[in-house]
Amino acid sequence: MSVDAGAPEIAPSQMRGILGAEVAIVSRDDTELLTGVRRHDLVTHRSEFGAHPGTVVGLTARLLDDLGAVALTGRGGGHFPAAVKWRSVAAAGTGGAVVVNGAEGEPGSAKDATLLQTRPHLVLDGLVAAINAVQAVEGVVWLHEGAEATTGSVTLAIRERVAAGEPDPPIRVVLAPSRYLSGEATSIIRTLEGGPTLPRFVANPAQPWSDGYPTVLVNNTETMARAAVVAARGAENYEPTSLLTVISRGYRRVVEVPHTVTIGQVVAEHWADMPHGAPSAVLLGGYGGSWVSWSDIASLPVDIGALRSAGLSIGAGLIGPLPSQACGIEEASRLVRYLADQSARQCGPCVFGLAAVAELCDDLTAGKLSPSGRKKLDQFMAEISGRGACRHPDGAIRMLTSALQVFADDVSVHRKGRTCGARVYGIMPLPGEGT
Amino acid sequence: MSRGKPKVREAREGPAPDGTTHLRIDPSICDGVGICSHLAPDLITLDSWGYPILDTHAVPRGRALRQAEAAVAACPKKALFLQHL
Repeated sequence: MSVDAGAPEIAPSQMRGILGAEVAIVSRDDTELLTGVRRHDLVTHRSEFGAHPGTVVGLTARLLDDLGAVALTGRGGGHFPAAVKWRSVAAAGTGGAVVVNGAEGEPGSAKDATLLQTRPHLVLDGLVAAINAVQAVEGVVWLHEGAEATTGSVTLAIRERVAAGEPDPPIRVVLAPSRYLSGEATSIIRTLEGGPTLPRFVANPAQPWSDGYPTVLVNNTETMARAAVVAARGAENYEPTSLLTVISRGYRRVVEVPHTVTIGQVVAEHWADMPHGAPSAVLLGGYGGSWVSWSDIASLPVDIGALRSAGLSIGAGLIGPLPSQACGIEEASRLVRYLADQSARQCGPCVFGLAAVAELCDDLTAGKLSPSGRKKLDQFMAEISGRGACRHPDGAIRMLTSALQVFADDVSVHRKGRTCGARVYGIMPLPGEGT
Repeated sequence: MSRGKPKVREAREGPAPDGTTHLRIDPSICDGVGICSHLAPDLITLDSWGYPILDTHAVPRGRALRQAEAAVAACPKKALFLQHL
């Protein structure tokens, strides 16, 4: 059953995958304008991915084993094994909800919007298969308010399925505030329990819902689509691929690649600046991910296990190359400020700690950080990690820690009371900044 | 039962049960009042902004456990709790 070792390499031209050879072009700051990938209506979807999961005999019995066999992990960024999560929810009791998380909080990422706008039936099939597997009673599609193209595609898909008489359990669309932490799993569960859309502390991570409330299984959009692929094609025919968002200065590209492809190959093929020279470094995974120098990352494959061995994670699939004319520490500081501003403002170490760190980063980029200020920065960073109700502050500190290492040269230039004079700013897109 | 014995929340899943007791905090409730660090100096220090940093190891019986129980009982926000694994 295992497809890990000895699986034949898939040439991209032969790959069926989810998007196959299609590449989505997405504007930098808005996933509403998405071209390049044809939307599968229900008829096209059924001819590509087969029958409705509710009509496949024996699917529920084999699906949990199959998810384990292909080692499917959570593509929202955490990469927790999907089979373990599904089993834990199933064991905790029947009758709850399954949520497909389409509130793509990661500002650089556009893969979930791409899936929901072009492969909505695949995502909904995964949702239905999950509902049946954990014996839940309803499905929820969790989207950002204002994501009109995405919401439109999902509601059209639900209407298509109802009109075709497909045996779906009840599925509803729930719109979340358009904030970074609206996509946090505990924010979703708290909302479904009637509370605010804010992350919450859970003493027992295996049971993120409140005592007395129904169970809730939350999976990222891509995870759910992949579960549908496993359901449709079986573990032995599942192709280990990933959806990646590659950030260029003019646009983003969402591509699907097999795990044998290297990050260097992805950047060479899909990064618009490549003809002007290789990037100095790549931000990998998300804005709470890691900066890695080009020489260290170019030969690494997209494979989750190989990256983990190198102490890295593909996270939510973000590939953010930094042009060599840009200053890494200025870019990192800009992202730290954004992440500090996106705090849910609940936990002291996040509210005050990230703000203090962002302040010191501003001093650093302005060439005004004293040696004692630098010591303070290190101390604050060490104090914050692991001390929030959610992992938001940990991600910000991880990203900054990697930046201070990878861009040590930029740091030393800025520390001598000067600035680096970089002529290129604002490489990674942030909401509301325009292009 | 001693006066003000703190309520213990049982973990049903998650870390494997091993009979140990851990001092834990819900950081989203904590307001950084800081009484806890005075009552449980062996287990709690305060960070640069006055919020408690907890010793993550199992709390040994005796003096440390008595400190932990006192801190849990005194927390005005009820952010601290003991977790039996």
